[in-house]
Amino acid sequence: MPASSERPINVYRVHPLTLWITAFLALVLQTFLPVVLPPARLIDLPLLVVIYFSVMRRSKTFGTLLGAVLGLAEDALSHGFLGIFGIAKALVGYFGAWASVQFDLEQFLGRLGLTAALVFFHSLALTGLRHVLLASPPPFQPLDLASLVLLNCALALVLFQILDRFRRPA
Amino acid sequence: MSRVSGHAGSGKAAFLAGSKVGRDSLLEIRSPESARPVPPRAPETPEVVQAFISRHRSFFILLVVLIAQVILLSVQITRDRNMPLAKRWAVATMVPFGRSLRGLADLSGGTWEALRNLTQAEEQNRQLGARLAADEARIRDLSEDAAENRRLRSLLDFKTHLSYATVAAEVIGSSPGEGSNTVLIDKGADAGLNVDLGVVTPDGVAGKVIAVYPHSAQVLLITDPAAGAGGIVERSRAQGVLKGTGRGRCQLDYVMNEDAVSVGDVVLTSGLDRIFPKGMPLGKVVKTGSGNIYKDIEVTPSVELDRLEEVLVLVSKPAALQEAKSR
Repeated sequence: MPASSERPINVYRVHPLTLWITAFLALVLQTFLPVVLPPARLIDLPLLVVIYFSVMRRSKTFGTLLGAVLGLAEDALSHGFLGIFGIAKALVGYFGAWASVQFDLEQFLGRLGLTAALVFFHSLALTGLRHVLLASPPPFQPLDLASLVLLNCALALVLFQILDRFRRPA
Repeated sequence: MSRVSGHAGSGKAAFLAGSKVGRDSLLEIRSPESARPVPPRAPETPEVVQAFISRHRSFFILLVVLIAQVILLSVQITRDRNMPLAKRWAVATMVPFGRSLRGLADLSGGTWEALRNLTQAEEQNRQLGARLAADEARIRDLSEDAAENRRLRSLLDFKTHLSYATVAAEVIGSSPGEGSNTVLIDKGADAGLNVDLGVVTPDGVAGKVIAVYPHSAQVLLITDPAAGAGGIVERSRAQGVLKGTGRGRCQLDYVMNEDAVSVGDVVLTSGLDRIFPKGMPLGKVVKTGSGNIYKDIEVTPSVELDRLEEVLVLVSKPAALQEAKSR
């Protein structure tokens, strides 16, 4: 929903510790959860953290840097080259913050729509990067992509509600 | 709550806490890092560039971040090395937490497994309980069959040793009233039964037939006051008449005071009543005392009359006995 001409923009902050603990936990869970719960491989917790905090802070710089840091950390924990997740998540952070200013995302549907769009964009960005950079990129799986978007949106509904409890007006 | 706002018309950023500004202002100023005062416009080119960069700072930061990562990627691809040190550090940082997470998962998995096992055990316990009850009932039936088998075998042995012709019968009913010591057996006139026939078991005398019906007969137990049988004390050979007391016991009458009878002595049939053969156990003396002329002797029956199940009815007497009766 486009912002109305009189719409105030609320900016929130969290304690830096909350931010980094959340990001770290997301990375830990993302790395080890699929071992005990195989369907969790479709979940991208660091991506949801990047989306939440970039939208909450409404800062493109913050979103870019958070996305790049978490993406690089995810790259370091994966078997691929450093930078693939970094680039994709930096873009997600930037566009998340941009969209948070453009649209009213205080509403449930707005948040959900943006999350779905960003998860979809992230997947497309990853696929594109892999096709450009890797000699044998993984095949594109539309069904996997749809499951990924749905699953991450469902998780985002819960996760964002939890994280909302830690935010405070800037 | 802070609100970030600005004015599109001026093109300058503003950060006005607590104010609400319209859509036009948002077109220019939308984020805190861009919500800072912009220096006044100057005619010099570097300053114009600086203002442009400052206004689009976040975009340039994104550009720098992306370019840096593209360079990083190209370095890795061209050297065919994907930063093993960085990966090693990242993994080393994560592994302890991963182990803790795994331990936690194992613990919760173990707890869940234990709970599931508990539920299964409860179900199994219920099933086993039901099966145990069924098996116990079956064992009871089998035990019952075995006991019956033993009794019948004993009865058969007894029957073969008996000089009388007998008819085996099963007790199908007992006396309905208190004080009435009779039982109903499943053989009657159709099996050749008559009144006054003796009814015995391998343990001894049970009673005599007092009524005969087509397919059943009523037996008066020896504990009934109306019942009587000739008795003899096995040890002293003192003779008397055994009568029921109506209280589950019998008394041996007409035994002289001078006859030696003591507690524990076995009382046998004397054969003088011509109903029971001589020498069958009647009971055991449990109490004895002297009277005016005769002793007061209390006898407990040798047959457990309250647990009577199978009996033999003595239908014909030995030839010698029959001859004596006919004379």
